[in-house]
Amino acid sequence: MTNPPVILTRDLTKSYGAATAVRALNLSVQKNRITAFLGQNGAGKSTTIKMLLGMVRPTCGDADVLGKRISNAKENCELRRRVAHVAENEPLYSYMTVEQTIAFASSFYPDWQPDHAGKLLSQYRLLPRQKVKTLSKGMRTKLALLLAFARRPDLLILDEPSEGLDPVGIEDLLQTLVAKAADGASIFFSSHQIAEVERIADQVCILHHGCLLMNASLDQLRQSYRRINLSFASAPAQQDLRITGVEKIRTEGRRISIFASQNADAVIARARDLNAVSVDVAPVALREIFLETVREN
Amino acid sequence: MGLFFKLNPTTGQPLYLQLMQQIRHAAETGALRDGDQLPGIRTLAEELVVSPNTIVKAYSELQHEGLLDLRHGSGAFVCVKRRTRSMADDVQFARRRLRDLLDDLRDNGLTDEEIKRAFEAELLYPAPSTQLTRKR
Amino acid sequence: MLWYKSWLETRSRFFTCLAVLVVFSALFIHHAQGFLHPEWKTEFNRLLFIAHEYVVVLWILSVVLLGMGGLRRENAAGTSSLTLSLPVGRAHLLAVRFAVGVLEAITLGVVPWMTIFVVADLGGMPVQFPQIVFYASLLVGGGLAYFALAILVSSLVEGEYTAPAVAFGPLFLATIIFDTWLRRFDLWRLVTASFFVDRTTYLLSGPFPWLAILASLCVAALMLLASVRIVQSRDF
Repeated sequence: MTNPPVILTRDLTKSYGAATAVRALNLSVQKNRITAFLGQNGAGKSTTIKMLLGMVRPTCGDADVLGKRISNAKENCELRRRVAHVAENEPLYSYMTVEQTIAFASSFYPDWQPDHAGKLLSQYRLLPRQKVKTLSKGMRTKLALLLAFARRPDLLILDEPSEGLDPVGIEDLLQTLVAKAADGASIFFSSHQIAEVERIADQVCILHHGCLLMNASLDQLRQSYRRINLSFASAPAQQDLRITGVEKIRTEGRRISIFASQNADAVIARARDLNAVSVDVAPVALREIFLETVREN
Repeated sequence: MGLFFKLNPTTGQPLYLQLMQQIRHAAETGALRDGDQLPGIRTLAEELVVSPNTIVKAYSELQHEGLLDLRHGSGAFVCVKRRTRSMADDVQFARRRLRDLLDDLRDNGLTDEEIKRAFEAELLYPAPSTQLTRKR
Repeated sequence: MLWYKSWLETRSRFFTCLAVLVVFSALFIHHAQGFLHPEWKTEFNRLLFIAHEYVVVLWILSVVLLGMGGLRRENAAGTSSLTLSLPVGRAHLLAVRFAVGVLEAITLGVVPWMTIFVVADLGGMPVQFPQIVFYASLLVGGGLAYFALAILVSSLVEGEYTAPAVAFGPLFLATIIFDTWLRRFDLWRLVTASFFVDRTTYLLSGPFPWLAILASLCVAALMLLASVRIVQSRDF
């Protein structure tokens, strides 16, 4: 890998007293990729993002974002100039109007594109004079997204960006993300909408109770994960089928269902050796991979 | 052009492979001819709403195979050689055989989903008996 | 644009306090006419001294309110993620908020006294401009420590109503303690000009207490520094 990762964490940890929100995280996010960050509520996704952006101080461990150390206040300030962050619940100043918000945000970033901002303003149907506190949730989300998309950042960090958007809005969002990626931005986003993630992500990271359970290419997951449904004249013991790659086995009478993360062909070969009457192989959607991975732990 | 490509994220096949297959198919059936220009990476990515890396991978693999010619700055151009054109006939013939087989299987009461899964299972993990007949 | 943001945040508080101070000052002086003896001078000067006490109370209330807000408040309101994403250091954020507040505090000290001067002058009262300057300077120079205290409290307490309540607590306590045991260092007596008023003429006399004002400003600076350290160390 000739390109250094845009995000690289080294045993990044955050504890609040006895509770640990993020546990020795070793995360690596590649440049020019769309990386999705999946996890249940409270898994530590937002805490991780806050640590990367200098809002929360790590208990121990460190990280680099765009080559700058997050623990150094000055470097963190510099990196924030090249990172666009859309936080959860799209924070905005309620006492400002739409145009005041845009004027305010744009003053901090040399990469701001006023023409593009104007285009997005009309595309999102935002009224410049409207006060932020009177905006609907969907409009707030769009304004928060506009503040990020009217720039040309090196890294886009989005925390639940589709919250509050209707299906058309979500489609627009995905298209914009893809366009930004094509322009050279690296994208790191967390989302509960696994179907969306599945469409555009190159890489998937799963965080659970503060631990990184998975950091894999989505193409790799698509090729490796299989659900194998077998039926036998008389079902063998589960132990006989438990080889490398088998994550879960369920027996129902003469039928056995196997959830495999890899090695599907070896599993099938073993099934045939055990005289399987029928072998049915199906691909596994990302939602199921996520649920099984998280439930396993 | 992008309207004719449809990528399905849940079929268990990487999206770039699906795109490659669909481009190859278009070239084989004549929908794409020699010299046609495919959409740029950004355009196609936006239209299909997939990561640009998918398009990049597909285009570069196809360039490796010789089907596409990526000219820096201008775009991706199709190179259909003679060999591919005769392959188009083979594919036409195969499609007709498949149509007959599908009709038979449907008459036997199998649903399209079952047929598809059986097909995938055979293609990806062929049973030993068929492996023997493969050797020509 | 940080200055603009701080201005937008404090604008309505500022204008309300300014209106109250100006109206109060004008009315107080204007209505005094009816209460005074023909023997103008001493009574008038005493009137100014009393007016100043009221102005000081109102001014301190105002600057404590102006000092509220900041990152802790934003955290409770949910906007700290936006402010802290900006490529601006936390010390810088606090410094701008402080600077805007100081400008507003100065205005809140100067304008009411200008009003008093104008109303008194128009009413034919024997007002002396140097006296006005003395009062206003004591107020603003000495009083900024109160504003700094408000900033410090706002960096520790996040409730919209609990923060000002907490700010007033130490304020009253300090006033009582200093008044009882540390009279020489009592900021209240400095700001209300108690140290400098001649009890017969009720004129402020003596050299301007530069050292005392400087000391008060140093205390203000220390409190500001403490606020910066607190804000820098906190998780948001």
